[in-house]
Amino acid sequence: MDKKKAIDESEPGPAPSHAVDRFGFIKPEQSNRPDGIPKGRSIHEREREERRIRKWRKMIGIGGSDWKHYVRRNPYVVKRRIRKGIPDCLRGLVWQLISGSRDLLLMNPGVYETLVIYETSASELEIIRDISRTFPTHVFFQQRHGLGQRSLYNILKAYSVYDRDVGYVQGMGFLAGLLLLYMSEEDAFWLLVALLKGAVHAPMEGLYQGIKVVFQVGLALLSFCHDDLVKLPFEKLLHSLRNFPEEATDPDVLLPLAFSFKVSSHLEEFQNEYHKQHEGTSEISSSKRLQPLISKKDEQIRN
Amino acid sequence: MAYRAEDDYDYLFKVVLIGDSGVGKSNLLSRFTRNEFSLESKSTIGVEFATRSIRVDDKVVKAQIWDTAGQERYRAITSAYYRGAVGALVVYDVTRHVTFENVERWLKELRDHTDANIVIMLVGNKADLRHLRAVSVEDAKGFAERESTFFMETSALESMNVESAFTEVLTQIYRVVSKKALDIGDDPAAPPRGQTINVGGKDDVSAVKKSGCCSS
Repeated sequence: MDKKKAIDESEPGPAPSHAVDRFGFIKPEQSNRPDGIPKGRSIHEREREERRIRKWRKMIGIGGSDWKHYVRRNPYVVKRRIRKGIPDCLRGLVWQLISGSRDLLLMNPGVYETLVIYETSASELEIIRDISRTFPTHVFFQQRHGLGQRSLYNILKAYSVYDRDVGYVQGMGFLAGLLLLYMSEEDAFWLLVALLKGAVHAPMEGLYQGIKVVFQVGLALLSFCHDDLVKLPFEKLLHSLRNFPEEATDPDVLLPLAFSFKVSSHLEEFQNEYHKQHEGTSEISSSKRLQPLISKKDEQIRN
Repeated sequence: MAYRAEDDYDYLFKVVLIGDSGVGKSNLLSRFTRNEFSLESKSTIGVEFATRSIRVDDKVVKAQIWDTAGQERYRAITSAYYRGAVGALVVYDVTRHVTFENVERWLKELRDHTDANIVIMLVGNKADLRHLRAVSVEDAKGFAERESTFFMETSALESMNVESAFTEVLTQIYRVVSKKALDIGDDPAAPPRGQTINVGGKDDVSAVKKSGCCSS
């Protein structure tokens, strides 16, 4: 969750009294970094990014019109390009296409508006309490009752009504907030739905990574920092696990390493073992597919 | 006294912070361990912890204080969270009565998951918001007495009683532990009654509290 809306450096900053980083987070005061000059991207990197954007634009077509066609014909090209990184300026659109949330939006005209305006949720107070505690140092969410905070509230309330079994769960705000940095409120709502409940038919069916990739990236981070981590006493571990060094989070290094881990069969074994342990105590269907569905996880845990 | 390494200690006690979402658990933790307070803190997701050492008698007692999300949903991770805890601060917000009502559930959960000797302190936080008070000191004190827990009101914002609350819990744990080591029975002054051993009696703490705050 560390990709925030890129603020174009040539634009005047939204809050002149604060310096923000390129994702929109207010920088801690006087960060006395030894390399005081921000690392500019090399010409080579910028050219590569521009090439990528051109390829992606061609692939998705205007407003996503060519996307489905392209995925059906060249699924592995799409997969490879996703792994290389979706250009930041296209992420908002591409996430909606990949997840199928764009279809949810088109199939449910007016639904979001109804949820926001007419429905009440049992979680309203809980949500309100967390609004100012979600990305409190980000320029978009910082202002009390500002656009960011209002949109965030609307989405979370709407979701808690739309999916009453799950309702509101702390942490959802950070997910919804991130989406809001890339797209409109309504688009972000349906993407949240697609992420948490699953879309009706995921257009990326065959390429779906599910929770596998979470483990792969986790393992890559751990193995990258292995030598330092194993030296640490228990109490220092938590800090280090939350603050990985910058070189460890460079996607061009991290992701190839992540995808080198083969975890599918292991995860399946663990899942089977888990289901065996919880047989009889749980009423959920023992779906074999590994899905990052919060609602399902929640049911399993509750039982 | 002989030179001691910075992180050397005689006792390590795990203490858990529990209570409803938004009562100020994380700020109590940061106030005690780093002397920091933030009005704009992030809601806690998952589990965090921090440590601080204090001196009790001539011993160094290191507190490892665990903090977690207050939302009901996160109760699923509890058994791991409570494992090995010897002290607990059950926190409510003096301006929100419902958080006080929920203390009973928190206590039940705590007692279901921890050793009977655990030292528990009921903590009414945000005591600086005097004009918004919804839970009286008397009610809370009465409740704490019935439940055989210690009690204190705190303000993480004004740094009021935070030090005392943690120190008291740690001192009481130390008393329990060092007494255990000396073989219980030697000391007629501390007869265990009922399920919870009330070490030292609650009066000590109330005294600290009275001198510290809450004239309102």
